[in-house]
Amino acid sequence: MLKKASFILLIAGLGFISCSKDPVSDLSTEESLVYVTNSSKSVNFKQYKTFSIVDSVLVVENDRSGTALTEIDRSLLQRIITNMEGLGYKYVSPKSNPDVGINAAWITNTYLNVASLPLSSYYGGYWGGGFGGYGYGYPSYYQYYETSESYWLISMLDFKNPNTADSTVNVIWDAQIRGSGIGSPQHIDRMVDSVFGQSSYLKIN
Amino acid sequence: MNKTAFIALFFAAIFPALAQDAPKIYTLPSPFDRYTHYLATARFTGAVPLGSFSDSYISKSSFQNFSASLEWVLRSSPFSVGGEVGSTYFKERLPRALYVNGNETISAVQTRTVSQYPIEVFGNYHFLGKASGIQPYVQISGGVSILDYMVYYGSLSTQDQKIAPKYGIGVGSKFLFKKDGSFGVDVRVKYNGTSYKHEYIENGISSLDGSVGVFYRWW
Repeated sequence: MLKKASFILLIAGLGFISCSKDPVSDLSTEESLVYVTNSSKSVNFKQYKTFSIVDSVLVVENDRSGTALTEIDRSLLQRIITNMEGLGYKYVSPKSNPDVGINAAWITNTYLNVASLPLSSYYGGYWGGGFGGYGYGYPSYYQYYETSESYWLISMLDFKNPNTADSTVNVIWDAQIRGSGIGSPQHIDRMVDSVFGQSSYLKIN
Repeated sequence: MNKTAFIALFFAAIFPALAQDAPKIYTLPSPFDRYTHYLATARFTGAVPLGSFSDSYISKSSFQNFSASLEWVLRSSPFSVGGEVGSTYFKERLPRALYVNGNETISAVQTRTVSQYPIEVFGNYHFLGKASGIQPYVQISGGVSILDYMVYYGSLSTQDQKIAPKYGIGVGSKFLFKKDGSFGVDVRVKYNGTSYKHEYIENGISSLDGSVGVFYRWW
């Protein structure tokens, strides 16, 4: 009697454990967006006056790349120009030796991941916490799953001070726009405004 | 019929009826007094974050906490010992803000969570007997917590998972629905602490938990 009862109780307890949650399922598209910017703090942006921008978006998918200029790409590039001009930079053609160049890219990476399940079903919910949306393969000890993530990457290159020794140009600022809503055309302006908005050190006027 | 015979007849009729109505159960102590017995409790818990956990990570109270326990109530002793497993979950959403780390600036809506699956052993000291309808007790517990710390920036997450030591001290009371019955309600207030340190959590996870449960006891 006791043994049976304790066993049922334990199962009830483990039942609580295997409930997994997705705490961000209620985020709106706008709330899901993450803006990450990086800059060289040693750079004084006041030395730059002019800029130019690529004429299409670089699309990088796992080591393969090409270019594209869809409606959303055009809006992105246009909004970058608007923001740069607002910060005091003069838009010039790529041929007129701009001080900085801007690249925009859409990057998609696909990863194959492995998760080990040391105690099988008991740990299902536990490990599952991190991989929202992925099912658990209870019978196996190792579980493979594929994740794919895309993001916008905007980079600012220093054409004024190239490294002549090794023929490279420095990236002096970059911005990543991540999150589930990055492909929505109606949010493009807000995305671009946000990454420039949080980088007040770019302002030269 | 004389008077003595009448009285004798009266008692002869009454006594067997009385004996049937109430067998001599109270001449013996309750079986819950006589035997070491088992007691199972399922609890629902509300938790209020305390201390540095509340100040630097999550201050929002949580009502997504559950536990189940099984205890052995020892014969002729005010003590009981047992085990408890549970699930606790804290979550707080912060509006969009900038997080600066060196040369990197992140703008995001942050969602902070910490889930714990505590597995503990506990000891209770009861102030009144097992037949009493109200049974106040104090409790001390210790064990481990399977812990999952996750901070979401928008829909992106960072995670840390650990098995951390945990402990608790509480006061509570059992209320039996019926004298000598098997079912009752358990009310408990408990301080719970988990030793854990990661990013925002600098000095452990602590909370004051109030729980309401139902229990069943048997021998």
